[in-house]
Amino acid sequence: MIIQMAWRNIWRNKMRSIAIALSVAIGLFAGLSVLALYKGMMKSRIRTVIDSETGHLQIHHPEFKKDYDPQYLLSDPQKWLSDILFFNTIKAVAVRTVTQAMLATPTGSAGVQVNGVDPETENKVSLLKDKIHWGNGFTGKKKNEALIGKKLADKMKLKPGSKLVLTFTDTASDLVSAAFRVAGIYQTENVPLDERNVYVNRNDLNELLNINGSFHEIAILLNRGEDLALAKRQLQERFPSFLVESWKEISPETELMVSTMDYYMYIIIGIIMLALAFGIINTMLMAILERTREIGMMVALGMNKLRLFLMVLLETVLLTITGTPPGLLAAWLATDYYNKKGIDISSFAGDTMSSFGFSSMIYPEFPRPELFTVMMIVVMTALLSCIFPAAKAGRLQPVEALRK
Amino acid sequence: MQTVIDAHNVSKVYNADTIPVYAVNNVHLHLQKGEFTALVGPSGSGKTTLLNLIGGLDKPDSGNIIINGVDITTLSANELINFRLKNIGFVFQSFNLIPVLTAKENAEFILQLQKVHRKERIKRIEALFKQIGLSDKLNERPAKLSGGQQQRVAVARALASRPQFVLADEPTANLDSRSASNLLDIMARLNKEEGITFLFSTHDQRVIDRARRVITLVDGQISNDTAAVPVTHEAPVSTEKS
Ligand SMILES: Nc1ncnc2c1ncn2[C@@H]1O[C@H](COP(=O)(O)OP(=O)(O)O)[C@@H](O)[C@H]1O
Ligand SMILES: [Mg+2]
Repeated sequence: MIIQMAWRNIWRNKMRSIAIALSVAIGLFAGLSVLALYKGMMKSRIRTVIDSETGHLQIHHPEFKKDYDPQYLLSDPQKWLSDILFFNTIKAVAVRTVTQAMLATPTGSAGVQVNGVDPETENKVSLLKDKIHWGNGFTGKKKNEALIGKKLADKMKLKPGSKLVLTFTDTASDLVSAAFRVAGIYQTENVPLDERNVYVNRNDLNELLNINGSFHEIAILLNRGEDLALAKRQLQERFPSFLVESWKEISPETELMVSTMDYYMYIIIGIIMLALAFGIINTMLMAILERTREIGMMVALGMNKLRLFLMVLLETVLLTITGTPPGLLAAWLATDYYNKKGIDISSFAGDTMSSFGFSSMIYPEFPRPELFTVMMIVVMTALLSCIFPAAKAGRLQPVEALRK
Repeated sequence: MQTVIDAHNVSKVYNADTIPVYAVNNVHLHLQKGEFTALVGPSGSGKTTLLNLIGGLDKPDSGNIIINGVDITTLSANELINFRLKNIGFVFQSFNLIPVLTAKENAEFILQLQKVHRKERIKRIEALFKQIGLSDKLNERPAKLSGGQQQRVAVARALASRPQFVLADEPTANLDSRSASNLLDIMARLNKEEGITFLFSTHDQRVIDRARRVITLVDGQISNDTAAVPVTHEAPVSTEKS
């Protein structure tokens, strides 16, 4: 009968009950939306890392990472490619010659990383070609063509066709300089990355470094991101004397970013839950105040504190249950809609997002795996919030309540 | 005869630190099973306070109240709640019923708290509603009932749990005279036919006339007590009334 009473009590003040159910719905909606945005951002960030920075996996000479010295070479690219493509987890493979260089123009100079790539295979792994927004990219007809990022181009006042000089040390530790021509300007969602990376033809770079046929880096794209651990194990077993790393190891800053964002997300969800808690405490207190005499009468007749507490708790539970489906539905509809359409936050976040390597287009993703956790957090918040009003009801003295 | 209420030297003082009000002042009271007693006195004479003390809703500042052999002044708050549930029926001046429950559910509610079996609950409630003449209002919400009907349901509810006695604080105060006399008829009949013990406060002369024993309170003290008289159909003679 307590359940019946709780249920009917809810309908006594419809506006108030709707307010609580609505706060639960909004709390749930807000919590899920924050998570959806966050997931969308992380996913696109990780996609950017994989697509334009690291690929899923990379293979290097074990010493290479220490100082990016061009002497730690791998050779026979054709054999590597066919050996790696043998595994059916692998989608595409590209080899790169990598060296640190000084880029100089009449305007100034900058330290860059020069990546010597084979345009055909590289495009399959890093989709480099798709990111060229100005100029034609590698034509393959001319020697010493270079692709530079938008940010670097702006800084150095370079345009397609402009000339630049790259200086680096070859394997014999001699300084080598060569003139390149800007064949295209690319732009990714990661501004710092655009500023640092220059792409040239691997053959041109190898000639300058005097390491014909060799390379430093193998970038690998998988068919499915879930196979990361499996593919890494397969490759490490196949090439035990080389270093096989996943994007998580190559780009630890992305991992750091993910954990920092986690932290912010919890703060935001915490604030939302606090607002929800205050709403419920306030409303339930009012509901109890209004029923002082009635509650006093029930206590006088012999209803104990536990049952009274249970009744208030049940009222909140029922309202929470009522508010949950609309909140879920709204969150699902909104994320589904924006997942297809995308949210462009560049208008108010400006370049901040891309300077951290985030796209300014967010495609929120419904947090299916976290759904239960979020629901539990909302329900727990609602239940905890009614403890205070329920305790208040339990403390009512029947004599005083009845005299009112 | 069995004593159901035995109060000794009971006092209740309000505002003890400022201007003390002796709401109940050194009261001795004995009630036997089957009595039909009115507690009368002007407003502010301490009727409500005394009933609250006897009903275990409030604690006296001194004295002992023994109900059916149990000194309720020694019980803890939780024990008191349980004691009230099992031993005492209450009818208040107003606001007796839980508005969200039907008449039947209001009575059933107490029985459920007492863990009375469903079949037994229905049996008792249907019998009681027949006695109060509201068998056709079992499923009405209190708002649909008149004031008199509500008080009758409150009496039915008080009796459903088979208490030692029923305390009623000015049960007719908010009723018109016809409803009031109807309620009194029902209470008197239940007292006579079923031997239910009633202690009710009132300052309505017509209600006082129906009582078999009248205890008069003035300034928290018993100024007159007609004492227990055997069951008769006549109202007892009172020297106090004017
Ligand atoms: N909570 C309280 N605080 C202070 N004084 C009170 C309180 N309750 C009752 N009183 C005083 O106690 C006296 C008796 O009141 P009450 O028992 O309500 O009388 P009655 O029911 O006969 O009208 C009155 O003087 C009243 O003002
Ligand atoms: Mg009174």
